[in-house]
Amino acid sequence: MKLRHLRRGTQGLGIFLGILGITGIGMTHIIFPGLHCYACPLSVTVCPIGLLQNLVIVGSVPFYLFGVLAVYGLFLGRGWCGWFCPFGTVNDLLSWRKARFRKVLSPFKFLVLLGTVVAAWRLADTWFCKLCPAASLTASLPYFAMGLAQPTTPFFIHMGTLAATILGMALVARFWCRYLCPMGAILALFNRASFLGLHLDPQKCTGCGLCQKACPMGIDPHWEGNSTNCIKCGECVNACKQRALSLRFSLPGARGYAPLRIPWPRSRADRVFSGK
Amino acid sequence: MRYLLFLLAFAAVGVAQGIDLSPADPKDLGDWAQVAQPLRLYPTLSTPVRYEGPTLATRLFGEIFLGEAKYAILLGVSPQNEVALWVDFDGDLRLTSSEKLQGNRISGGSSWSFALKARPKGGEAYDYPLSVLWPEGRGYVFLVGGAPRSSTFHDHRVVLVDGDLNGVFGTKGDFLGVDVDGDGKIYADPDGHEYFALSEAFTLGDRSFKVREISPDGRRITVEETAYVPPKIPLIPGSPAPDFSFREFTSGQLLSLRSFRGKVVLLDFWATWCPPCMASLPGLRQIYAKFHAQGFEIVGVSLDESESDLRRVLADQGITWPVAFEGKRWDNTIAALYRVYQIPTSYLLDKNGAIRYRDLEGEELEKAVAELLAEKTAETPSLGALALPELPAKAEPILEIALPKEMQLRPGEESVIALRVSNTSPYLAEEVRFSVQGLPPEITAKLPEVFNLPAFGERTVRLSFSAEKLNPEIFPIPIKLGVEYHYCIADACFQMSQAAESALVLGERAGGGFVFPWWILVLLALGVLGSWFLWGRALSGFSIFILALAFAALGFGIYLGQARQAQRIAAILCTSCVGIEEERVPKVELSSELRAAFASLPKAGHLVLFYTPWCRACPYAKALVAEITKVNPRITVEMIDADIQREKAERAGVIVNGKAVVPAILVEETGKVLFGTGDLASRLLSALKELP
Repeated sequence: MKLRHLRRGTQGLGIFLGILGITGIGMTHIIFPGLHCYACPLSVTVCPIGLLQNLVIVGSVPFYLFGVLAVYGLFLGRGWCGWFCPFGTVNDLLSWRKARFRKVLSPFKFLVLLGTVVAAWRLADTWFCKLCPAASLTASLPYFAMGLAQPTTPFFIHMGTLAATILGMALVARFWCRYLCPMGAILALFNRASFLGLHLDPQKCTGCGLCQKACPMGIDPHWEGNSTNCIKCGECVNACKQRALSLRFSLPGARGYAPLRIPWPRSRADRVFSGK
Repeated sequence: MRYLLFLLAFAAVGVAQGIDLSPADPKDLGDWAQVAQPLRLYPTLSTPVRYEGPTLATRLFGEIFLGEAKYAILLGVSPQNEVALWVDFDGDLRLTSSEKLQGNRISGGSSWSFALKARPKGGEAYDYPLSVLWPEGRGYVFLVGGAPRSSTFHDHRVVLVDGDLNGVFGTKGDFLGVDVDGDGKIYADPDGHEYFALSEAFTLGDRSFKVREISPDGRRITVEETAYVPPKIPLIPGSPAPDFSFREFTSGQLLSLRSFRGKVVLLDFWATWCPPCMASLPGLRQIYAKFHAQGFEIVGVSLDESESDLRRVLADQGITWPVAFEGKRWDNTIAALYRVYQIPTSYLLDKNGAIRYRDLEGEELEKAVAELLAEKTAETPSLGALALPELPAKAEPILEIALPKEMQLRPGEESVIALRVSNTSPYLAEEVRFSVQGLPPEITAKLPEVFNLPAFGERTVRLSFSAEKLNPEIFPIPIKLGVEYHYCIADACFQMSQAAESALVLGERAGGGFVFPWWILVLLALGVLGSWFLWGRALSGFSIFILALAFAALGFGIYLGQARQAQRIAAILCTSCVGIEEERVPKVELSSELRAAFASLPKAGHLVLFYTPWCRACPYAKALVAEITKVNPRITVEMIDADIQREKAERAGVIVNGKAVVPAILVEETGKVLFGTGDLASRLLSALKELP
């Protein structure tokens, strides 16, 4: 229970950073470690995906952006999705149906990332921003309320993507984070090498499957912890009666920082989940 | 030897003569002693000036610099359509009712006259009389002045004029008018024979003099005798027109001006690219047809560069009179002989080959030709019938070019340099073309295409240099970037050429010296990929290694200014870029009702459009406001790049919670800001209806 309280606190911090503009400090040089639109009237940080597209359009080599993203990634990996990202928090709040993760859809977020970059490169436009549900929520709606945005086609497109994403989230927990988020895709690359990691004590694990039931991403954490789809939220740690799972900072690759890849064949895992 | 040098120096000092000058009334001197220069006005100034008075419908600020003194002015139009000018005489940045000047209505605008204190550095303060002319509805005024100072020198009157209106004498653009011929009248228009730039020598009798020193307050000049320079040929009524010979363009026949003796000749300097010249052609054709048989001839001197253009125009317009063409634009030798600095320029010569009139047109020209044809050959010309152009227009460079002091050239690569060219005048700069002088043959330069730059417009052009192999010893190579263009003020067109100096230096070849560290990012990517295949301690080490790379990339990015770049990108919100706004084509079709509604707006209004270069909806907003100002000239507009002039955007209230939102249109009078492009025309209409 303690871990979840802590997480709610850091998620609150993420939201706080997202709306720090309320203090009137204006835009800073900080790149947000999550998906949060810099067009949001109250944001003081730069959206990494928005910046990435702009840099592709203007054609500069993104040393700063990649450096910052790599530092973020090596620090928490996808832990940012579970512990900080405000849009992730929205996903969390709607996590009612923890369906199994569809492996076949896993590459989709990488395709979204690739498509975002290619669209910026070929069409010289920020196409992802025009569809991004996080922007719909934190920019389009506030500006509409302020009278700056008009009910035009782009506005309705934004509302459409937001509605579709919310529907997805209501039907499948962390729907956006699982299959679509390009920021999640970037952080996923670092997930295995990051300093925050999920640790499993194989001696204690009984293979009861409780962690899988608790996982909002729908993966089986005792096999797939720290994989591209693990957001290191710690729900599995809470769920584990045997205390076989733990979440802590250590050097990646240290003892217990395992398993790191899904074993193949999955016969053992299947036995575990079928309760045999 | 030392003593000899000392004596020589002493002798040189002895030859220098001081002239004390006192203020002169420009009315006694002639139009040339008053120089007109445009001054741009802005809705706000960088040093804000407080205005204390009744509400104004239009407020435009400007700054006048006279030496070290700076005066803010405010041009205000009251809701009752009364125009007034405020001048911050006491420099306290407050414009009070005591600083208000009532203007005189003149045709097409208003004018004010007053005197300010000029404070040149290194000189005493002095009174500087100035007039301000405002062409109604425009975002600029003309400053007219020059603070002429005069004296006599060897019984000839000498007048010093502050030709660049900066309050400091002796700077570029200032000039002397010297009554060389001692007739009591000075002809010091830029093509006059008594006009002398400060670097030019003037000749009195058989002695020539050159300015050596000028006190910044214009109280005293020192001249010294110099080698004899022949005096400039007068081009005033009564003086013989300088003779020249030329090859006629169509027939190839060799002709001279002298060969037309006994005929009345109109010597016309023109070019096909000069719209006023082209407009005068039908009138000339008519007069030519009417009087040619009686002994009237026209000699056209074309300042064109393109032979085909000239041939086409001659054929289209049915021009049969002789035309001289050299294809050298303003370097035409005949134009140089007649000191032509603007076109159209024309001289009407009588049967004796003497200049009788200048720049006549239409009916006046017809009357004069008839009068001269009626004269007998030996009749003495009457003086004083000079028809001078009305406005004392003076050709000034109007473009500003930001050229770096050094440009790097890498062998085997194309080095591209972006130059910002800005037009500082209210006139269109036409056919702006670049040239580079001083390049060795092994370097090739790719120059920007010829373009036009609108009033107060800005443009970034690309200049590129490339060379295969270079001898490093020839560097640095000093080069001169020349820019040539012409512009027209009303009926007068001027050709300008400006030059800026720079140097090409040898850049490092890629691979030697400083290398752009791409490898950091490549290693970072490889590291991230590699981390998926490692276990145990290897992964630990690897993670630390990529963390080091990440910090290196981050640090280098900060060094390159990319953190600032990121902040700038995020601090401006282009409404269409994030898709909270419709992106529209930069074409505007106003419905006839809207058009009529805009045209019927009775009040003058000033719109300030904030944009950024990458904003996709901004071109539409720009096109819309341009269309509105066309429909209703009482509405004026100013375009501001919110990325560059952020403080202005802040002051205008275009910043919403720290983010500049573009496109945004500020209605200057009411302070209302309209964001985005959705339904913009009708929103603008209702905002303009609220004008006080």
